Amino acid sequence: MFEALFKYSRADYARSDLVFSGDLPAWTLYLLAVVAVIAIGTLLYYRRATAKWYQLAVIGSLQLGMVALVIWVLLQPGLATEQLRDGENSIALVLDNSSSMSYGTPDSRFRSAAQSLSGALQDGELPGVAVRYYELGAAAVRVDNFLASAPTEGATAIADGLLEILEDSRFSPLAAIVLSSDGADTSGGLTADELAELAAYGIPVHTIGVGRTQIPEDIELSDVTIPDTAPPGSTLPARVTVLHDAPGTTAIKIYDDDELLQLVPLELAANAGSTTAWIDVELGTAGPHQLQFSIEGVTGETELRNNSRSALVNVGNQDNRVLYFEGEPRWEYKFMRRAVDDDEDLRISTLLRVSPNKFYRQGISSPEQLEAGFPTSRDELFAYDALILGSVEAAMLTDEQQSIIRDFVSERGGSLLMLAGPSGLGNGGWGQSLIADVLPARLPPTATDTFHRKKAGVSLTPQGQSVQMLRFDSDDDANSRAWAELPEVADYQVIGELKPAAIALLNAETDIGQIPLLISQPYGRGNAYILATGGTWRWQMSLPLEDQKHETFWRQLLRALVTTAPENVSLTSKGDKRNGTIQLRAEFRDDAFRPVDDIGVTAVASHEGGESFSVSLAPGKEPGVFVGEFAPGLAGTWYFEALAERNGEAVGVSRSSILYESGQSEFFGFRKNAGLLQRLSAATGGRYFEPGDLSGLADLLRYSSPGITETELRAIWDAPIVFLLLLLLKGSEWLFRRRWSSI
Amino acid sequence: MPRKQRSLCLILTGVLTLAADAVAGQEPGAGQESAETAVVARPVREAPGEFQFVRLAYSANSYGRGGWGQRRQMWQTDWPDAEHHFSRGVDRLTRIDVAEAGRILTPLDDEIYDYPWIYAVEVGYWYLNDQEAARIREYLLRGGFLMVDDFHGTWEWSLFVASMEKVFPDRPIVEIPEGDEAFHVHYDLDQRVQIPSRMFIYSGVTWEKDGYTPHWRGIYDDDGRLMVAINFNMDIGDAWEHADWPDYPENMTALAYRFGINYVIYAMTH
Repeated sequence: MFEALFKYSRADYARSDLVFSGDLPAWTLYLLAVVAVIAIGTLLYYRRATAKWYQLAVIGSLQLGMVALVIWVLLQPGLATEQLRDGENSIALVLDNSSSMSYGTPDSRFRSAAQSLSGALQDGELPGVAVRYYELGAAAVRVDNFLASAPTEGATAIADGLLEILEDSRFSPLAAIVLSSDGADTSGGLTADELAELAAYGIPVHTIGVGRTQIPEDIELSDVTIPDTAPPGSTLPARVTVLHDAPGTTAIKIYDDDELLQLVPLELAANAGSTTAWIDVELGTAGPHQLQFSIEGVTGETELRNNSRSALVNVGNQDNRVLYFEGEPRWEYKFMRRAVDDDEDLRISTLLRVSPNKFYRQGISSPEQLEAGFPTSRDELFAYDALILGSVEAAMLTDEQQSIIRDFVSERGGSLLMLAGPSGLGNGGWGQSLIADVLPARLPPTATDTFHRKKAGVSLTPQGQSVQMLRFDSDDDANSRAWAELPEVADYQVIGELKPAAIALLNAETDIGQIPLLISQPYGRGNAYILATGGTWRWQMSLPLEDQKHETFWRQLLRALVTTAPENVSLTSKGDKRNGTIQLRAEFRDDAFRPVDDIGVTAVASHEGGESFSVSLAPGKEPGVFVGEFAPGLAGTWYFEALAERNGEAVGVSRSSILYESGQSEFFGFRKNAGLLQRLSAATGGRYFEPGDLSGLADLLRYSSPGITETELRAIWDAPIVFLLLLLLKGSEWLFRRRWSSI
Repeated sequence: MPRKQRSLCLILTGVLTLAADAVAGQEPGAGQESAETAVVARPVREAPGEFQFVRLAYSANSYGRGGWGQRRQMWQTDWPDAEHHFSRGVDRLTRIDVAEAGRILTPLDDEIYDYPWIYAVEVGYWYLNDQEAARIREYLLRGGFLMVDDFHGTWEWSLFVASMEKVFPDRPIVEIPEGDEAFHVHYDLDQRVQIPSRMFIYSGVTWEKDGYTPHWRGIYDDDGRLMVAINFNMDIGDAWEHADWPDYPENMTALAYRFGINYVIYAMTH
C-alpha cells in the first residue's frame, strides 16, 4: 500500500536522503508563494460580506494547500540512495554444512538452508554483485557453489568461520554476509569478545535460522557431571540432565564398560524443558573407568546419537594430607577424626595441645613428623594439602609461621579451615594476625568474647544448596529437609563482616539471630574457610547410630579442602573440539612449590588401542609451566605421561588421561539456536530471517553500505499520492462551494 | 604417740565417723528410691565448659538398694567432692575447658548424648534394665565413653557383668594392654598400683573383699577404640574425693587424677 501511494517502499525511504532537483531558482518559488497568498487573501476579503468566517477559512486553507502542493511538484523532490556499484562488490553466502544440518524429514535443515540462500538472492543472483560461496563447519571453506555440498562436518564454529571469511575478504570489497544455519554451535557459542571482534569489521551478517527450536519427538542426554578422580570404593554423585520438549518417561542406564551399574527410571515433567537426576555411582577397583550414560529413546525419536554420553573417572589411591593444629582437647576434634577414620585417602595428622606444656601428636606417619611442633618451613607445611586451625591463639605461632600459612594458601594452593573455639577466630587474635587477609571475614578483635557455648540451628544458604560438599541427598528438596532436620550444633562464634569475595554456605540460627556459619573465599591459588562452630559433634551424638550425616559432612568438607589443592607436579589434558586437538599442560614445582624452569619436559601419548606418540612440550607463559598440543586422530581413551629431566636425570613425572570423542558433539544441543543467530546479526548490523520470510533481504544486500556504492536519484514528485492530494483538495473545494453557494 | 596406739586411734575415729554418718542419714523405710529423685544436684554452671563431669545415676540391684541407716544410693558414692576436686584438677592440669560443677544423669535422660564422657561408681550394685542397657549401648557406640570405678571382689564383679552383658552381649571385657593409648595419651601410666579407698587409712589394707589385685579392664568398639574403662578392685573416686584430706596418701590422689585425666583426654581424642 505504502509503495503504491509513495512509489517506493518504506525501506527505500528509510535508507535514502530527500533531495530536490527542480530547475527553477528559489526566489521564483518564494515569489509564487507570496503572490498566491496575497491573491487568495484578497479574493476571500471581498467575499466576507456573503460568507461566514469559517467558510472563508476552509476555502482559504484548501487553496493554500493546493498552492503548496504545486510548489512541492515544482521543486521536483527525489530520493538519493546509496547502492552497490555494479561489478565492484561481493557478498558471501555461507551454508552451515555441519552434521546437525542433516536433521529433519522430508526436507532436511541443510536443504532448507540451501534453498533459503538461493531465495535470498532471487534465484541465486544479485545483478552487478559477485557472490562467494562458503561452507561452514569447524572452519569456513570457500566453494564454487553449493551443488556438491553435504552436511558432513563434525563441528560448528560460527565465530571462527566468519572471522576466516572476513579475513579472506580483507582486500576485496565485501558488502555483506548471509549465513544460513541452525545456530547449533559446538565450540561453546559466541562470546562477547567474539561478537565484538566480528562487529569491528563493519560487515553486516544477515542470518537465516533453519530447523525447529523445539523437537517434541526427541530427548537428549544434554549433560553428565561426575568427578573425574575418585578413591577406590567411592560412591560418586553423577548429575544427569535430560533435555526434552514434551512430557514422558525414560530410563537412565549407567555402564562401567560392559557392566550395568544403574538403571534409574526418570519422569520427564511437562513444560520443564529439562529434567535433572542425581545418581550415586559406585566404583570399585583402581584404574580408569569408562562410564557410559544412556537414556532410552521416546516414541518417534530418530536421532538416537544424542541419547548417550561417556565419562572417564580415574580411580586410584590418593594421599591427601591434612594438618590439624588444635589448642585444646575437645569433642569436635575427636568426632571429626572418627568421621573420616574409614577414609583411606584422607590422612589427618594432628598436633593437639593437651596441657600448657605438652602437645599430643596423632595420625603421624613417622616419629619425626611434627616432632618439633608446628611446621617452621615451607617444605614441611607445603607437604600438606589442607590446614585446620582449631581453638588456638595466633600468638602460638611466630610471624614466620603465619607467613608460611599465608603462602600455603596463596602460592601452594592449599586450603585453610578455621574452626570456632574459646581461643579460636576472633578470640584467638587471628583478626590481627598475618593471615587476616586470607580469611573470608573481618574477625572481631580479641577484646570481644565472640564464642558462645549455646546451641544453634543450622540452615543451608542458597549458595550452599548448590555446593556438592553440603549434599546429604541428591534430590534438592530432600537435601534441604535433611539439613533442616539436623540437631543443633553445640556452640557458635560470631565472625564479623564477610569480605566481598566471601560466600556463606551455611547459616546458624542463634539466640542473637541468623549469623554465617560456614563461609569461604578464594585466596591466591587456594581457598580459605571458616566454620564458626566447634559443635557439629552433636549431630553424631544426637542422631541414631545408623545416621551418617555427621560423617558425610566431614568427609565431604575435608575432601573438598584437599581435592582443590594442586600437586607440585601436575599434568592436565583438555580436548579442543574446534581444531580436533588435545591441549597438554604440565606444571613442575619443587617441594616448596617454587616453579622449576631448568628442566626439559617430554610427554608420551598412548591410545587405549596401543598406539603411542611422543609429544613435545615447550615452556609456557607462566614459570614452571610447559604446554603442548596433540592431534589424537583416534577417538577413545588417551593416556599421557610427562617426564621432567635435568641433566639427563628424571626429576618428576606426572600422568593424565582423557576420553576423546570426535564428531559426537554435533548431535547434542542441535535444536535451532535462534537466539545465537539473532545476537550475531544484531551485533554486526545485520538482520535475522526465518526461511519462510526473506522479504527485504535482497534489498538489504543491494543497498548494503559497507560495499563500494554509488548514489541513485529517484524522483518522487510524480508519486500517486501527489495527484491524489491534488484531486482531494480541488474536489473538496468544489463540494464546499457548491454546498455553501454563497462563496 | 606410739605407732600402734596411733593406728588404733585412727581406726576408732573412722568407725565413729561412719557410725555418725549412718545415724545422720537415717531414713526409715527408704528402700528402692528412684535415681532421679534421690539427689538435688548442685546448680549447673551457667556457662558450661567443653567437659563436664557427669555421674550416672543408675538403678540399684537388690543388694544395693540401701536400707536402714543408708540415706544415699550407691551411685552417689563420693559425690559431690569427687567430681568437684577432679574437675578442678582437669582444669588446672590440662587445656580442657572444664565446667566447674558436675551433672547427674540417668541412662534414660536424653541429655546424656550432650555429654560424651560419663562416670559410674560402685557398679557392683548397679542394675540396668533392657531399656537402660540399650540406651547405654547406643550412647557408647555413637562415641560416648564410660568410666566405671570402685567395685571389688568376685561377687561385685559378677553383679557388674550381669548388667554390662546386657549392654554388650557380644563384646568381651578385656585387660587394657600396657601400650594402650589410654595409659599414655597424656601421662605415661606404667605403674599398676592399687588405688585404695579411705579405709586404707584406718586398716592399712588396699583391697576390699577378695579384690586383692587391681585390674584395668575395658570394652572396645569395632575400630579398637576403648569405650568402657573398667577400674576394678580400686577406688579412684575416693582418691579424688579425699584429695584434700591430709591423711589420704597424696601419691594415690595424684595417680588417680592421672588415670582420670588420661581417660578424659583419651575420650576427647579417640
